[in-house]
Amino acid sequence: MYAVAEVIDDLCVANKGCRLCIMYCPEANTIMFNKENRVAEVVEQRCKGCELCVVVCSSAKHNAITLVHR
Amino acid sequence: MGKEKIKINPEFYDIMPVEYQELVEEGTYGKEDRGWKDVGESKELIEEHSLCAGCPESIAFRYVLACLPAPEDTIMVGSTGCTSLVFPHVAVHNIHSLFGNQNAVASGLKRALSYRFPDKVKDVVVLAGDGATVDIGLDMTLQSWFRQEKFTTICFDNELYANTGGQSSGLMQKGFVAKMAPAGKKFDKVNLPEIAKVSGCHYVAKMTVSKPNRVEKAIRQAILIAREVGPTYIQLYTPCILEIGKQMMEGLQEMRDSEGPNKRFEFEEYISEEAKAYLETIDPKKKKKKAITA
Repeated sequence: MYAVAEVIDDLCVANKGCRLCIMYCPEANTIMFNKENRVAEVVEQRCKGCELCVVVCSSAKHNAITLVHR
Repeated sequence: MGKEKIKINPEFYDIMPVEYQELVEEGTYGKEDRGWKDVGESKELIEEHSLCAGCPESIAFRYVLACLPAPEDTIMVGSTGCTSLVFPHVAVHNIHSLFGNQNAVASGLKRALSYRFPDKVKDVVVLAGDGATVDIGLDMTLQSWFRQEKFTTICFDNELYANTGGQSSGLMQKGFVAKMAPAGKKFDKVNLPEIAKVSGCHYVAKMTVSKPNRVEKAIRQAILIAREVGPTYIQLYTPCILEIGKQMMEGLQEMRDSEGPNKRFEFEEYISEEAKAYLETIDPKKKKKKAITA
């Protein structure tokens, strides 16, 4: 079982210009900006589950990312 | 130049790896104003590296690669350490040599490139850890600065030898106890930015990687100055979360804690007079102003 990040689309504020999780994710090409839906999305195969995106998102009080077990 | 070198023959397009196809389609080669803002919307030049989950060094790597002004004409020189584990996953030409040799290799490379491509701008960027820059390769590092070799040296400072289990390095802070340095560090952290200033570097910066726009500005300036004026040096704090006993999500907070006022990684920048004058000549805003006043 692996822990991977998951974005809750309704709470994500990427359409307002927030790029916190994309900026601070240590993995390359893992959290991408979905240009159609205007939200961040996680590429699960590349996520190592370090929880850094959860920390930056919740410290900015958006709480839009959680860790899920797959 | 852009993507001419890497584009795929249409006959073989379907048998190339998906990552390579994405790199050709969405990579940022040849883009004028590359920066960290491209991250997340285009293909990055680093892919599926093997560093630990949550490693701040990989954040630094992403920013450095996103901020190179001309990645297709850049050659990176690496050295042994955690950084050398990443170079096989990087879509920029790179060279690996003996531990500590990175600045000597880069000197020869820069000279060879200027003979081979006299009419082209080729950037050489050295990217090595603190062991390679300060302990084992200090001789080569300093000599390249004395000789005024025109390339950028970037040091990923994690304050110990992280790849081999946590031995003490010259850049470790005084009194710090690591897994393989149980007696604690006996002397002060080597102040390499100050040494770089007096050794002839034209641009010196010391910072953490917690602010991407600051890193972007420093790297662009360092590489542009290195093209024309002389050697430049950037020291980035990339803590090893494993060896300092932090959880994987605490790397960012650790960097923010150590860059406060009077802390050891408080932001410092030094630009020599010569480099300042050069930066003014290439700054598009100031150029326009000058044209208007003239």
